[in-house]
Amino acid sequence: MKKLATLRSSMPTSARLLFTLLLTIVALGITFSLTALDDSKLAGGAAIAIVIVGLSWLIGWSGQVSLGNSGFMAIGAYATAIWANHHATTPVVFTLLLATICGAAGGLVLALPSTRLRGPYLAGMTLAFSFAITPLALNFPSVTGGSGGLFLNFLSAPKWFANLFSGSQALIRANAQWSADVAIVVAAVAFFFMANLFHSRTGRAMRLIRDNDVAAELTGVNLQRTRTLAFVISAAYAGLGGSLLTLLTGSVSPQTYSLPLSILLLTLMVLGGIGTLSGAVLGGLIYSYSDNLVSLINKVTGISSASTFGANLKGIVFGVLLILTMLLAPRGLVGMGGRLLSLVKRRSAES
Amino acid sequence: MWFNRLRRTTVVLTVSALSLGSISAGVIMGSSGAGASSSTPGVTARSITIGATVPLSGIAVSYAEVSAAAAAVFSYVNKHGGINGRKINYIRKDDCYNINAVGCTANVGATPTLTQTQTLVTQNNVFAEVGSLGTAAQDSVLAYLNQNGVPDLFVNSGSSDWNQPKKYPKLFGFQPSYRAESKIFAQWIKTNKPGAVVGTIGQGDDFGANGLAGLLAGGLTIASANQLTYNPANLLNPTALQAELVQDLTTLKTNGATVVVLDSIPAITQAILLISHQLSFTPQWVISSVGSDPLSVATPLEVGAISMSYFPSTATTSNPWNKWLKKVITASPNAQTNFPNYFTGANAGVLDGNMQYGAGFAVAFCEALKSLGKNVTRAGFLKAMIKVKFATPALTPLSYTRGQHQGLQGGSIATVVPNANPTAAPQYAQLVGNAEYTTGDYSNTRIVTNRQKITPIPGWLK
Repeated sequence: MKKLATLRSSMPTSARLLFTLLLTIVALGITFSLTALDDSKLAGGAAIAIVIVGLSWLIGWSGQVSLGNSGFMAIGAYATAIWANHHATTPVVFTLLLATICGAAGGLVLALPSTRLRGPYLAGMTLAFSFAITPLALNFPSVTGGSGGLFLNFLSAPKWFANLFSGSQALIRANAQWSADVAIVVAAVAFFFMANLFHSRTGRAMRLIRDNDVAAELTGVNLQRTRTLAFVISAAYAGLGGSLLTLLTGSVSPQTYSLPLSILLLTLMVLGGIGTLSGAVLGGLIYSYSDNLVSLINKVTGISSASTFGANLKGIVFGVLLILTMLLAPRGLVGMGGRLLSLVKRRSAES
Repeated sequence: MWFNRLRRTTVVLTVSALSLGSISAGVIMGSSGAGASSSTPGVTARSITIGATVPLSGIAVSYAEVSAAAAAVFSYVNKHGGINGRKINYIRKDDCYNINAVGCTANVGATPTLTQTQTLVTQNNVFAEVGSLGTAAQDSVLAYLNQNGVPDLFVNSGSSDWNQPKKYPKLFGFQPSYRAESKIFAQWIKTNKPGAVVGTIGQGDDFGANGLAGLLAGGLTIASANQLTYNPANLLNPTALQAELVQDLTTLKTNGATVVVLDSIPAITQAILLISHQLSFTPQWVISSVGSDPLSVATPLEVGAISMSYFPSTATTSNPWNKWLKKVITASPNAQTNFPNYFTGANAGVLDGNMQYGAGFAVAFCEALKSLGKNVTRAGFLKAMIKVKFATPALTPLSYTRGQHQGLQGGSIATVVPNANPTAAPQYAQLVGNAEYTTGDYSNTRIVTNRQKITPIPGWLK
């Protein structure tokens, strides 16, 4: 522990890199023992976690509220689908980067006018954007495929990876796990960058703006530029997450990336813990395995998933969780975990 | 300083060792779990598991009968010993016609159909999907099934998407393509309604697009102002849908359309007929076979409409397949809940097109499976799909070639006539005149008229 603490203070970036690598490798190891279905869920969770961390950065660190991140996801998703349909053999890394850049560009266009706005006005502007995405996609069917959307190939395991598996489900397991592994690696890279960003000059400036923008300006922080940057980075992360989701689900349709998704992202972010990396990871995990929770509730209470109440159970569960979080742990599950930990420490110190 | 470096090196080494350990442990765990058997997915000595994603609730619930009829055939076959000693285990998963709805929620980006398909493939370990339904629904999982090597057989949709043997060698359609059907409609309209002003309302996806393409390929002239659609995304938004249909129908009425071709699902066909009645708009309706089943559309306003059928008229009691199917339906488990219209109401005892359809592909699946003998593999099954001469209730031969995976090539023009029972609202379809069918769905192929032929029921199936 001490060695790690020393490393953290003397070479923070290397320490973060090491920590990310360790976590990534453990996560990759875990995917080997999961079923194909759980691997697919995990992959989706990783993609969502990327979007959440982008949102967490925007809201938790720069203090700007966005309801438009589902729209940036749509930009990334469509960029991926359109590109993949024209250039089927492009390496995944390139496709993901392209989508990230498209998301960032979309973020910049929206940021230039909207970072001048604050509070509810900014939320209103991003809300309008998130409403506009679906009709936009519907009205240019030649590019976006209209209401049917676009289809593309799923991420497919390379031969050497597929050869690790045998048995009748070999191919299915290989493909599912490959998608999970790719998603984990992409998420790891995204989180590593974000971890460094949190502790960079920009990160500190961002926090200062959030807490007191007058003081920030007095110390020489360019308000407009820093806010825009926060917005662009958040949009880039949403683009990356949307792109990854598209590669995992093989299709994109205009209805997917609408306002309810933005709300869901906000909910997950608050549940996990605003402005924290681990909170975003938790948010992603909660998202991907919430179905398991819902089916457990179905089983225990005997509420049929086919009934209207049963079908809306997920929304209800999220709602209740959100209220409980706001009441009992305003800093999310991560904050609650931290509090419990310090409580235990104090107890043990006293005794 | 050297001490610090040593400490750092130690940390790195420990971490690497730990991580390598966890990976290799994972690999061993993973491979030992899967290595138990290397046989064909879903196939054991005593059973074969297949599945389908179909609408069992929601806007297209009237199609639930199709897969229920297929399940009835499989249970009939199972009762008589199965196929080569194997019982068929048919799993139907509800995807609500691929629309996020009650009971059909999907994770972000995924479609309800994809979610259910993934369950069928990863959890139920199906040998193949048999009779999955819906154009948009199946479009969203083609790549997934192909990537994982799962055959997708007898897709319930007339889209030409199922006929791409080069790209999707394990994918097979069943019914005639919407193009082929529409070409036949075009010929009927040119012959019987020369000089008519033709309009179309199609579902705003491949279904509608292919239908329109077929009409144009058949030589019909349709003004672009009369080529209308409805947005399938509005299927769960009755207000928007109603407004859209009213607008479409008002446009067609204003433009003086005398023949209107519909590429719609039964619920929309019904809505269109009702709205037109309110607008006093009474063109000659020509309705795609997938949207015309009189028992599903369930309104007397459909009387006189033209459609196409690739099965013998359900009113023909002498047809051996109809007799057989009645026996199968009646004997099936949960028959009362699966086929409510067949057991109660004005149409009790009357077969409908959905039942014939489901039975048709179920019989074809059994025939292909039977031809393989004891040794069932996916590769062998796909070869059998091309080789087997199928005997089905359909009016036209069901056959596939290396380059043609569509399935049936045509059918007979049918008309909706009043029910024999005057108090009953719905009607049944009757084949028009000398039943004939046509082949060829692209503009460069000629429409051929052949004689209708009823294939006898294979002995082992009786």
